[in-house]
Amino acid sequence: MYKKILAAVNEHINSEVAARYALRLAKQLEAELFFCFVAEESMPQHTRCTAEDAVNRLYTEALDLNIRAERISILGDPVAEIGKIVRHEKIGLVFAATRREDIERRFYSGTVARSLSLKLPCSVALVRVVHMGKIHPSKILVPLKARVNKVKERAYFTAKMAEAFGGKIIVFHATKPITRFFHGEIHLTPVEWEKRLPKDISDFNAYIRKSDIELEGLLLPGHTSKGITIEAAAKRHDLIIMGASERPLFTFVLKGSPVEAVLRETPCDLIILNPRHEDK
Amino acid sequence: MKINRLAREEVLRSLVTSEKGLSGEEAKRRFLEFGPNEIRETRKTPLVLRFLRQFTHFLAVLLWIGAGLAFLSEYLNPGEGMLALGLAILGVIVINALFTFVQEYRAEKSFEALKQLLPFHVKVLREGKEKEIYAREVVPGDILTLSGGDRVPADARIIETVYCMVNNAPLTGESEPVPLTAGACGGELIESRNIAFAGTSIVSGSAKAAVFSTGMRTEFGRIAHLTSAVEAGLSPLQKEIVKVTRVIAFLSTLMGIGFFLIGHFIGRSFWENFIFAVGIIVANVPEGLLPTVTLSLAMGSQRMAKKMALIKTLTSVETLGSVTVICTDKTGTLTQNRMEVKRVWFDRKFIAEHSIGDLRSGDIMTAARLCNNARFSDGQFKGDPTEVALLKAAGGTAEAGEAERIFEIPFDSERKRMTTLNRIGDTAIAFTKGALESVLPLCTRLRLGGESVPLDEELKKEIVSASHSLMDSGLRVLAFAYKVSNELGVMRNEKINNAALDSSLEANLVFLGLVGLEDPPRPEAAEAIGKCRGAGIRVIMMTGDGSRTALSIAREIGLVSGSPVIIEGSDFVKMRDSELRERLSAKEVLFTRMTPKHKMRIVTILKGEGERVAVTGDGVNDAPALKKADIGIAMGITGTDVAKEAADIILLDDNFATIVNAVEEGRTVYENIRRFISYIFSSNIPEIVPYLAYVLFRIPLPLTIMQILAVDLGTDMLPALALGAEKPTPAVMKQPPRPPGERLLNAKLLGRAYLFLGPIEAVACMSGFFLVLKLGGWQWGEFLPAGNPLYMQATTACLTAIIITQAANVFACRSDRESVFSIGLFSNRLIFLGIATEVLLQFFIVYHPWGNMIFSTSPISLHIWLVLIPFAFLLFFAEEGRKFAVRNLRRG
Repeated sequence: MYKKILAAVNEHINSEVAARYALRLAKQLEAELFFCFVAEESMPQHTRCTAEDAVNRLYTEALDLNIRAERISILGDPVAEIGKIVRHEKIGLVFAATRREDIERRFYSGTVARSLSLKLPCSVALVRVVHMGKIHPSKILVPLKARVNKVKERAYFTAKMAEAFGGKIIVFHATKPITRFFHGEIHLTPVEWEKRLPKDISDFNAYIRKSDIELEGLLLPGHTSKGITIEAAAKRHDLIIMGASERPLFTFVLKGSPVEAVLRETPCDLIILNPRHEDK
Repeated sequence: MKINRLAREEVLRSLVTSEKGLSGEEAKRRFLEFGPNEIRETRKTPLVLRFLRQFTHFLAVLLWIGAGLAFLSEYLNPGEGMLALGLAILGVIVINALFTFVQEYRAEKSFEALKQLLPFHVKVLREGKEKEIYAREVVPGDILTLSGGDRVPADARIIETVYCMVNNAPLTGESEPVPLTAGACGGELIESRNIAFAGTSIVSGSAKAAVFSTGMRTEFGRIAHLTSAVEAGLSPLQKEIVKVTRVIAFLSTLMGIGFFLIGHFIGRSFWENFIFAVGIIVANVPEGLLPTVTLSLAMGSQRMAKKMALIKTLTSVETLGSVTVICTDKTGTLTQNRMEVKRVWFDRKFIAEHSIGDLRSGDIMTAARLCNNARFSDGQFKGDPTEVALLKAAGGTAEAGEAERIFEIPFDSERKRMTTLNRIGDTAIAFTKGALESVLPLCTRLRLGGESVPLDEELKKEIVSASHSLMDSGLRVLAFAYKVSNELGVMRNEKINNAALDSSLEANLVFLGLVGLEDPPRPEAAEAIGKCRGAGIRVIMMTGDGSRTALSIAREIGLVSGSPVIIEGSDFVKMRDSELRERLSAKEVLFTRMTPKHKMRIVTILKGEGERVAVTGDGVNDAPALKKADIGIAMGITGTDVAKEAADIILLDDNFATIVNAVEEGRTVYENIRRFISYIFSSNIPEIVPYLAYVLFRIPLPLTIMQILAVDLGTDMLPALALGAEKPTPAVMKQPPRPPGERLLNAKLLGRAYLFLGPIEAVACMSGFFLVLKLGGWQWGEFLPAGNPLYMQATTACLTAIIITQAANVFACRSDRESVFSIGLFSNRLIFLGIATEVLLQFFIVYHPWGNMIFSTSPISLHIWLVLIPFAFLLFFAEEGRKFAVRNLRRG
């Protein structure tokens, strides 16, 4: 699915850490890896040097791991230039880091990360780096909604990431509590909740089970974003992989966006995958 | 792989930094990316919204509708007193909201305590130069320079250390400092000795460390995140009150609509029917329920405080009564945390407590004295309880100055041993003490009959068997060894590194013997455990002790009888949730070799299974579990501020028996709430029946809406509160915890209030009403205007009848089945105070001009009172008769 992977690198350390995730995945998939730095015209020279140093470090690391890698350093608009490369090289997956200032905006609108996620014709993994001590994630939390699109690609990406790091996958589904008017909230045990597992999540799990990866399921009633961050913090998960489920403005105003809330509060690194492959 | 497993160079590479630190520009860039290194609260609902939420819960909405209908009625049909009603209902809503909000607001201070644990200034290397910066400016990749007395500002990987000791107490609660090392370590990051965690402090030595996480992503931030984000949810009582209000809302709306339609069909006007419907709803809604419940809980919390349990959130009072599982620490809670040396194994024989004094000049007691950090000063022993016990047994007061301590490899939980190097005369002797499994493998010889002999497999087996024997009697076992060292010269040249010295000092030791220490159980623990057993509450003990010791103590205090499921910390971390869930379902479970950080997982699994969980804790890392549990119980003496702030209850004496007393009190509170609900609901019938009569028989309205409110929010309140002060009965701890499905408002309670007690009161009030009318010459079908003195006297008699019968009803509601005479007519003196207040209030309503004005009443003569009082006796003895019949039926 991902024969060629591109990692967008810039002067910020989080882009380098995000690119390391791409590096490990490329190694696992034996994919070709592109480290790409696009400098805007106005960027000072010493900042460019910082970014180029990062690209060089990553490139060396890739060669050490026997990964077919390329370095690209060009001038221009990052989104447009990366778009051109993706089309030209038929890139299957792009890794880009979100920045702290991005998460202050509604669904990081107007940011490079958002533009890459929306405009690129390939799958995009946006990485939010918050913890630099968990080099190889061994516990990967995968929150899923009841209805998941492109299940196959999501499962493939998750499975390959887990394989790349020798990690375990914990599938998490936060559902609405069951309530009755006169009875209030009905308590169900985890085993009873498991029987109510939505079909898409069962499909996702079935796909993961095909590979030799340790898988655990967790279905809990409660607030989605809070549930995810509490679960990740309580059990010291190393990485969260979730989907970019954008909501209409009205729903957002009423209910907020779980992805945005997790972006703000995540206790570990977070990858938001915007998959494209299955629909092609 | 985590950063603890990397070598120094790899650490620096992965953090993209160097031993000279970051450049100023890069630090600025990283500051923008990772944000300030500070503990901040997770985004919460703004305070204003949380306050407004108090006005939008179901009961409040119900009351809003009632007030709205009253105002609408006043607007369209003025002069019926509906304005006063509307205002009164608004008053109830506001008072309830303020009361609840203040309680909730007070409960959320744990976060502040966490914030104060991080330092303000720290030293970092930037471009090779040491700089002092604000701790909030520290970023990942910064190189910290730490020395004795410094607080660690962020989670950092040690890259250089010079005998650096860190105190992890703020994080783990472990008081002993642990050494930090710079080399790569296996295992979990949280347990690594090469990581300095934010919030901890350097005790001695110095170190350089590379920061890898800051702010909320540190281990400390993780605890803060969980402490502020985890919500225990509604308490069982709060859930029950929601259900009760929904049932009442449904019933009263149904009745309001039903009687509106009946009125319509029998030809009454729209407004008459409308006022009637509003009256029915107001009469049904127990406006006084929430304030009474809250005040009753407040009284319960005061009683618990007298029993050494300080309640922080009011609803915890009742929640505690509903717990099904108590997860408790052992040391200090079930035991006295007062260690004593009980038996010694030396020279291949056991030495009992009374003969231990004879060993004081012997080798093993010298080791116990010199491999020890407790001290005797100012006439008392100071230090860790285990070391104090050893020093006492070894006669630590007499032999001071016998040796000079040269060096120490401190105790830490990973190595499970400590070693000291001592100069005794011209000889250097190393003494080692620790867990047997840690010390025995280092020994090659055994001290026997004043000589050292080779330690063969047979002797090793004998030592292990002796250790098991000590553990089986509930003793914590420490092994002692020594070695005459040639490290004195080595120490002088000071060129040897830590690791080499450690391994050289602790190799080829001579095994001395074993010391068994006892932490005696609290005398009241066994009885408290027995009470829990009788009350159907499971007690799960969590301890850092080994399985044999834990099992023996658990047996001694009656916690286990058969073969319990024992889960050791090392197995616990490997278990999946499903496996752990299955093991936890056993009747008797012990967690051994555990650390506090595991508690939250246990609590989560138990709660998932529908258990109501109480958990004890004292350290900062207990805080998330304390928040997650239905009831978090912090230790008042040994607990950290963070644990106390996160808990619902603080035990002022750290005693398990206090928890059980508090459970008993909590159960009583629930029973008392039921009692006063029966009481409050009984008066709904005499409030509704006059309306029914008014509609169905075309008589003047016997009871106005303001008079209904006078009962619900006035005269009923204090007697109801007095019911909330009923003392625990012996039966309360002999029944299992109430099942989660059991309703506060069940058919039995409703039947008793609505079909038995209420109708008697209704007969009384209607009798009073008609008696006054008849004596005043009223004829059936005659209309009386609202201001008519006869009509006002009649409604006053109706109201008075309710008050009088409710006074008797307080006694009736004191028990379900037992006769009031058997529980003691005078055993709750508050009842008399409540009745006295009720009657005084009624005198005010009946005889004071203000009372007359507000409630549209008029004074009635004494003989009306005398006619009504027998109804009180009728109700009391009828209820006694019912209870007698129920008791007999049960016996039958």
